[in-house]
Amino acid sequence: MKGREIEDQLTLYGRSSASRLLLGTARFDSPSLLAHAIRAAEPAMLTVSCRRQVSSSKDSGQSFWNLVRETQRPILPNTAGCLSAREAVQTACMARELFQTDFIKLEVIGDEVSLQPDPFGLVEAATELVKLGFKVFPYCTEDLVLCRRLMDAGCEVLMPWAAPIGTGQGPRNAAALRELRQRAPEIPLIIDAGIGLPSHACQVMEWGFDGVLLNTAVSRATDPVCMAGAFATAIQAGRSAFLAGPMTVQIAAVSSTPEIGRPFADGQLESARTVDSDSNCRLPAQAFL
Amino acid sequence: MFIVVNGQQHPFSGPQTLAALLLSLSPPAPFAVALNEELVLRGSFEECWLCAGDRIDVVHPTAGG
Repeated sequence: MKGREIEDQLTLYGRSSASRLLLGTARFDSPSLLAHAIRAAEPAMLTVSCRRQVSSSKDSGQSFWNLVRETQRPILPNTAGCLSAREAVQTACMARELFQTDFIKLEVIGDEVSLQPDPFGLVEAATELVKLGFKVFPYCTEDLVLCRRLMDAGCEVLMPWAAPIGTGQGPRNAAALRELRQRAPEIPLIIDAGIGLPSHACQVMEWGFDGVLLNTAVSRATDPVCMAGAFATAIQAGRSAFLAGPMTVQIAAVSSTPEIGRPFADGQLESARTVDSDSNCRLPAQAFL
Repeated sequence: MFIVVNGQQHPFSGPQTLAALLLSLSPPAPFAVALNEELVLRGSFEECWLCAGDRIDVVHPTAGG
């Protein structure tokens, strides 16, 4: 591990990782693909869930669980599909017993079409879960007031969406997400849901978000393993760019090569030059007047 | 008399602990159990007596996003 990676770690509830990618384990075509994608992504955490046994198979969940355990990655169980605070709290308690971790990705869905989080249910459930000793990762919208309420409830990480789950649309409300980042600089913010491309992930990391949680963008890619690696690279690139401090955007062109000492310029104006797009020749601006 | 296990009716003939029920169901490990929507810790199965009409949910790890 490089020295810089050790310095720049993602720390969530005291657990540190060089990786800033959290990977969901659903919707892979085969366990083998999932295993290879995990290797390619090197995620900080893996999200998992709990469900009733749905088939007569005696293997129910066992092979999946063995695969996940073999990766030795930290586990983040979720409350996916819960439609009320009460259901989410009950599911979180079951998940803690099953996975033996206090970490919980809290989902309380308020709209079954968009799968938009229910802000009221989220705050209610988060408050209760924190009292029960859980370390809550709430899947929320970019609403600033909601995020404040979740922080007040004791959440030490927030996971705002970029777009609805599974859509791959990328950040739909860039201004609000960037404002949230600026107004809540003290808390880790993980973009969760709606990311479709590595460029989306890179973009939000450039804005200063602390990490990205992915699932469908990897599992439903034509080549999930290759895409997992592409996302890992993009997230690291975005983080490096954020740390490097991007230049300030300028309204007008600013020549990068010094004008002073340019040959063959005798008698020509030294300023206000532009490019003729057809001939690709640099001409004085006055030539177009 | 019946109890409901994972949403399905299950014959229930009298006093029985949750531990005895799980022994007969032999769900693959790992699993967690809720009785009437409340978690039952794994160390409490022997002391948990079932009644007719009880609802038991047994859950396992699964993939999630």
